[in-house]
Amino acid sequence: MKLLLIEDEKALATSIQNYFQRENFVCEWAPDYGTAMEKIHVYEYDCVLVDLMLPDGDGLQAVRELKRKSPETGIIIISAKNSLDDRIVGLNLGSDDYLTKPFHLSELNARVQAVIRRRNFQGNQQIGFGKIHIDPQEHSVAVDGYEIILTRKEYDLLVYLIANKNRVLTKESIAEHLWGDDADLMDNFDFIYTHIKNLRKKLMDKGCPDYLKSIYGVGYKFSEQ
Amino acid sequence: MNLLERIFRYQIVASLVILLLGAGLFFLSVRYLIDEEVNKELLRSKVKVSWQLRHIDTLPVYILQLGDSLQLQPVRYPGKMIAVERRMYNANERQYHPYRQLIFYEQVEGQWYRVILSKLLDQRQQLMKAVVMTVTFIVALLLVSMLMLNSWLSERLWRPFYRTLNALDKYQLEKHEVLEFSRTRTTEFTQLNQTLTQFTERLAASYQNLKEFTENASHEIQTPLAVILSKIEGMIQDETLSESQLVSLSEVSEAANRLSRLNQALLLLTKIENRQFLAGTEPVNLTPIIHRKLRDLEDLIEQRNITVSTKLEPVGPVMHQALAEILVNNLLTNAIRYNVEDGKIEIQLTPGKLTVCNTGRPIQGDPELLFERFRKESTHSASLGLGLALAKTICQVNGQTLTYRVQDEWHMLTVTW
Repeated sequence: MKLLLIEDEKALATSIQNYFQRENFVCEWAPDYGTAMEKIHVYEYDCVLVDLMLPDGDGLQAVRELKRKSPETGIIIISAKNSLDDRIVGLNLGSDDYLTKPFHLSELNARVQAVIRRRNFQGNQQIGFGKIHIDPQEHSVAVDGYEIILTRKEYDLLVYLIANKNRVLTKESIAEHLWGDDADLMDNFDFIYTHIKNLRKKLMDKGCPDYLKSIYGVGYKFSEQ
Repeated sequence: MNLLERIFRYQIVASLVILLLGAGLFFLSVRYLIDEEVNKELLRSKVKVSWQLRHIDTLPVYILQLGDSLQLQPVRYPGKMIAVERRMYNANERQYHPYRQLIFYEQVEGQWYRVILSKLLDQRQQLMKAVVMTVTFIVALLLVSMLMLNSWLSERLWRPFYRTLNALDKYQLEKHEVLEFSRTRTTEFTQLNQTLTQFTERLAASYQNLKEFTENASHEIQTPLAVILSKIEGMIQDETLSESQLVSLSEVSEAANRLSRLNQALLLLTKIENRQFLAGTEPVNLTPIIHRKLRDLEDLIEQRNITVSTKLEPVGPVMHQALAEILVNNLLTNAIRYNVEDGKIEIQLTPGKLTVCNTGRPIQGDPELLFERFRKESTHSASLGLGLALAKTICQVNGQTLTYRVQDEWHMLTVTW
């Protein structure tokens, strides 16, 4: 998978690049509008991450150009602008998602994977991890072929964990992924434990090994080891 | 009362006063003139009568004038000459008629007589009435036509003013409009319109500036925060880190997250205060919003074993949909956050009123103080302390009121509209 990151903030760009390289993505970086245009016109990307405020141009213009040149490419706007009009304008231009800064890299990763899945396989691509199989189209989960029934939150949590497998996920990023703006209530993380506990129990009841490791003081990690 | 109505009223009052005063003055002056004239005639008659009386022995006495009368009464002493007006009874017509009399004294052959010359005023008074009424009528007609002309003219001349007023009434800063007006021939209105156009230009510009400033400020703060968070997230993946280092990192991450949420909440508060959210003209139905939020929050409600009871009618205040969501969200999360284990929440939505009651610990001091920014009960240090301030601001800008009452263990937040 090939990504293009259009972002003027070097420190942030490096973090994002490092994060996706571990995922075996090729993540190229364009620090300004000019470089971005060059790369867009020469190469094909699976997904492009666009910052709206660039030193030499408007990110929205880049979105327009991308839509014109290769409509198949997934586009995610990453911006500090969080006003409703900006979101609407961005999404109307044909971007697939809009993520406001600051965000968790794990959240960005989950969204990138969702966009690529939607774009390349019309959502039909199976998500698999160990004994777990997920059909995103049907929202169904099976362990060793036996279907298990998950609540909406448990399903979201599982997809999120698998998207960020082998990585430590902080409690905040999980809470924010599951509750979005309501994560303001995060003064108490007990409700995450409840969901984690329920999900783990449902998986293990069907004979799934315990993939979920608790990392003391930080969060969780979903891995096969 | 509008301007034209007021002008019209003053004009009517002024006209009536002028009309009454004028008619009165005219009546008095005409009467004075007539009296003068009658007096002169009487004096002329007096000269004739005196002459005749003095030569009574040599001349025949004849009637002075038709309708006039002459009375002679012998008296012992002469008096002063006076002129009076008097009504006298006419036996033939059986009614009173006004007369003007001149009373004087004359000596005839050694005997004093009181001579009373009377002059009928009937015809003159009728003439006077006719003249006064005609003139009054003409003046009244003139005044009424002036009034009508005036009000018609005012309405015509003030029309640009009302157009301007109407445009101002509909003016919405959030639309970044600059008011433009059609040309008028009245200098003052042209001036007014020009001033208003310039004014709204400046207003739109500073509003745009302010909006850009808040957004840029948000950008400037959110970007470094994004860098901090992304670096922490990268470092957390490092398996060689010790447990205490991980805990420290997690604490840094939590603080950065909090800072970001705080920044977003403050920005939202500023945006609401700047009235960047246009209010709708239709009431928002709060019932589906409340149901949706309760569903979103059900984990928290279940986890704390809170019982929720609702009594909802499909009504709500007129406000921006997004603000209604934030308002409901903040009221509900507040009711959950400050609730006790196994507590209760009661939500009632009736026309003009939304009440969210929750059980909770009693608080010290005035509950209304909790609406202030960063005011919170110390036991919940992790909360931002902006939730109720946001709710209050939303209500304020939309003309609703939010009140906080505490009764025993019940906390009651009420929105009325």
